Amino acid sequence: MKKGYLLLAVLVTAVAGAFAWNEFHRTAATADEMPVAEIVTATELLAAFAADEAAATARYVGTADQVVQVSGNIRSMGSTNGLTNVVLGTSDPMAGVVCEFRATALPAKWKVGDAVEVKGICTGLLMDVVLVRCTAVE
Amino acid sequence: MRIAFVTELFNPMLKLKILSLAVVMLPSTLCGQQRFSTRNGTITFFSETPVENIEGTNHKVTSVFDATSGAMEFAALIKAFEFEKALMQEHFNENYMESNAYPKAIFKGKLTGLGEDEVAKPGTYEVTVTGDLTIHGVTKPITAPGTVVIDAGGVLKASSEFMIEPEDHGIKIPGVVRKNIAQKVKVTVQLDYNKM
Repeated sequence: MKKGYLLLAVLVTAVAGAFAWNEFHRTAATADEMPVAEIVTATELLAAFAADEAAATARYVGTADQVVQVSGNIRSMGSTNGLTNVVLGTSDPMAGVVCEFRATALPAKWKVGDAVEVKGICTGLLMDVVLVRCTAVE
Repeated sequence: MRIAFVTELFNPMLKLKILSLAVVMLPSTLCGQQRFSTRNGTITFFSETPVENIEGTNHKVTSVFDATSGAMEFAALIKAFEFEKALMQEHFNENYMESNAYPKAIFKGKLTGLGEDEVAKPGTYEVTVTGDLTIHGVTKPITAPGTVVIDAGGVLKASSEFMIEPEDHGIKIPGVVRKNIAQKVKVTVQLDYNKM
């Protein structure tokens, strides 16, 4: 009987330890690993922030990380700091939706002018609406 | 007034009007104003303690610098800071920075040591940045040294390093993790500006 309790205690400790180890070393999820909360066009997304930033932040940024799927045409692409920024154009020539990709997550065939769909974590509005940890919807 | 104008550049609704105005005022603009901007600046903060080191990086910092007036402003979305571990990121947003209530960090101030004449000449310039830094909804004055390197292509690479104390900005660190987070956190700012 004692052996049984001991074995159970060891088992519980091992499971708890493994859970704690995994939790401690867990990295932030990419957009691909999370459910899509909102589907919207780049123009609609920017317009929502421009009309009421607080309301749009509550809806698209949310309280915890959430994925927004955005469609639009690529206005520009560029790389800095090992990341690639894809800017989706909107009806505003001076503002867009900036989507930050890890280099490996960006489809090689994408080019300026292409109509694309992107999933990313919406972080809010600066000059543009900013999405990070993006992945392509193909 | 000039700083207020720079602030307005972050409002997308006003940008079209500003663009129209800029076209109308183009001749005078060509004679005077020298404005630079970036949308891909980097801010890193680093907390070092014997227990653990914590580093957060944001590569989506927006900034505008007006060499004519010296006015400078940058803004960063708190949720765009990324960490090595998801738990650090969650605690940073939920427990300390309360990013839902305070989604942005903003600096508004002035850069001295770099004027219209200097930005036209490639070189390395030691500068001083003075202004107000708002983090977690609390604004504090700050002065920091910086370096601006201007290359032959006219790109301004500005960098600065300074220390901040989380408590100064109303960020409460629970006693149980007090030893995990430094009293003073090192902030590094790197802004590579292009001419507007």
